[in-house]
Amino acid sequence: MEVNEFINKNLIKMNLESNDKDSVIKEMIEIMAENDVITDKDEVIKKAMEREAKGTTGVGKGVAIPHVKSDAVKRPAVAFGRSERGIDYGSMDEKLSHLFFLITVPEESHDEHLKLLAQLSRNLVHDDFRNNLLEAKDEEEIMGILEKI
Amino acid sequence: MKKIVAVTSCPTGIAHTYMASESLEEAAKKMDLEMKVETQGSVGVENELNDQDIKEADAVIIAADTNVSKERFAGKPIVEVAVADAIDDAEALINQALEKAEKGEKTEINSNLQSQVSDEKAKRKEKRSGPYKHLMTGVSFMLPFVVAGGLSIALSFVFGINAAEQEGSLAAALMQIGGSSAFALMVPILAGYIAFSIADRPGIAPGMIGGMLASSIGAGFLGGIIAGFLAGYLTQWLKNTIKLPKNLQGLMPVLVLPFLSSLIVGLLMIYLIGPPVEGIMNGLENWLNGMTGTNAVLLGLILGAMMAFDMGGPVNKAAYTFGIGLLGSEIYGPMAAIMAAGMTPPLGLALATTLFKNRFTRQEIEAGKPAWFMGISFITEGAIPFAAADPIRVIPSIMTGSAVTGALSMLFGVGLKAPHGGIFVLPIPNVVTNLGLYALAIVAGTVITAFMLRVLKPKLEE
Repeated sequence: MEVNEFINKNLIKMNLESNDKDSVIKEMIEIMAENDVITDKDEVIKKAMEREAKGTTGVGKGVAIPHVKSDAVKRPAVAFGRSERGIDYGSMDEKLSHLFFLITVPEESHDEHLKLLAQLSRNLVHDDFRNNLLEAKDEEEIMGILEKI
Repeated sequence: MKKIVAVTSCPTGIAHTYMASESLEEAAKKMDLEMKVETQGSVGVENELNDQDIKEADAVIIAADTNVSKERFAGKPIVEVAVADAIDDAEALINQALEKAEKGEKTEINSNLQSQVSDEKAKRKEKRSGPYKHLMTGVSFMLPFVVAGGLSIALSFVFGINAAEQEGSLAAALMQIGGSSAFALMVPILAGYIAFSIADRPGIAPGMIGGMLASSIGAGFLGGIIAGFLAGYLTQWLKNTIKLPKNLQGLMPVLVLPFLSSLIVGLLMIYLIGPPVEGIMNGLENWLNGMTGTNAVLLGLILGAMMAFDMGGPVNKAAYTFGIGLLGSEIYGPMAAIMAAGMTPPLGLALATTLFKNRFTRQEIEAGKPAWFMGISFITEGAIPFAAADPIRVIPSIMTGSAVTGALSMLFGVGLKAPHGGIFVLPIPNVVTNLGLYALAIVAGTVITAFMLRVLKPKLEE
């Protein structure tokens, strides 16, 4: 299992347009829909919102990781988005979020996929990893950073 | 050095669990502490804390948004927070835990109902991990092949039990779909997905190849289970042991792992499993041939038990070949015992899944329905998914039922001139003698099998 089976350049958006939490979730899910990862956009949005209601996925340090586990998801995938000015995502540390990872997995997922997603999550804790993502110039560079996890 | 143990968990188990774990580990490194974090995520429990870890720990941190059982941490200082707090500021959390430890604060655990319930749940989850989980993965992938194959073969008998010998006929096509395709894939799929469950994707190729070899050397589904575990653990071990320089690492999944593990599994199957399997089969055949003069009821008992033991493996084949051989000598009793004994395993399981639903998984209860048809068609393989999932309880049950059926069939002096076909041979004149008592023998074995299963199989919790 390799990172590029989850994410590719089409699933990366260097400059997110949204200004608030709801619209950034929808914007990220739109990317998934455009890339044929999900079958039912509304269902995925509903699931993502339900997850946020249980507790914000804005984990602080400028990172948010909304995620959805649903039958409306065709395959495990990650979309990455960046917002230079930052979005108020209701994060735990009450700061703005700049890095967004939307993670979608089908209800029945294989351990191998989940382990790789876990690995990605672990990396987000490290300052270097986040800084590299913030400073990356284009999609190519982002992929380069992600492929190293 | 101080030691802290922690458990992290979150509702979806995809991200927070692992971020919290990483934060705690990083902070501990910075603070020069020993730290072990158990993650309870979507992959299940990883890096599980053992009794030793808990005993050595100065304090326990539980960072979870789900219900984590605290029973095992009784008497330890525990800091319990939301999973987010561990991601946010792990250092502060560790300090808090150390403070508690210094003050000697111990957490009293009330053994209330809720914690007992969650403890039970955890135990059951545990039961489903390890080898049992791998076996179940293999069985659940094999099941559709058994059902599709068994029903196709049964359908071909509808056109007459020898209709499939007519080349180009629909019956022959059905036999080709069921017998030489679906059933041929059955054991490789079982082995392949056992290995897949153990070693992920690299396990599939060696597992399937090992399973295919189990079939071709005549080792049946029990050989397939051996091949699956062998391939899985071997691949896993190779994956962890072989260290290639970074620029060659790409070769691991595409070249090194599949080739090496398939080669080793294949050679072991052929040279280590193959000869004893052949030996068992030849030995049993000779032994049976030496028994032709003995007590007929005893012979029926033995043949019956052999038919049910490995369903397609060497023991079953030895009994079946013996019966066919006698047809040539115009001795029809043993063949009748063999066919009846080959019908009761799926029939008994079908009956048991109907009567004793609380002893079977939902998947097994559903699989019980096609097992009726496979049973009446003398497709013993219909019982394999049940036997593979729980061999220690199911195999003795079906052997007992089949042995009784075999013995009764001999006792009643039933003769059978056709080597296959199940109930589809019965309407043909003069194929079976003593039809009524033959049916009684089959019913008796079916009922005994079902009740043996009732006794041996434990109740499953909802």
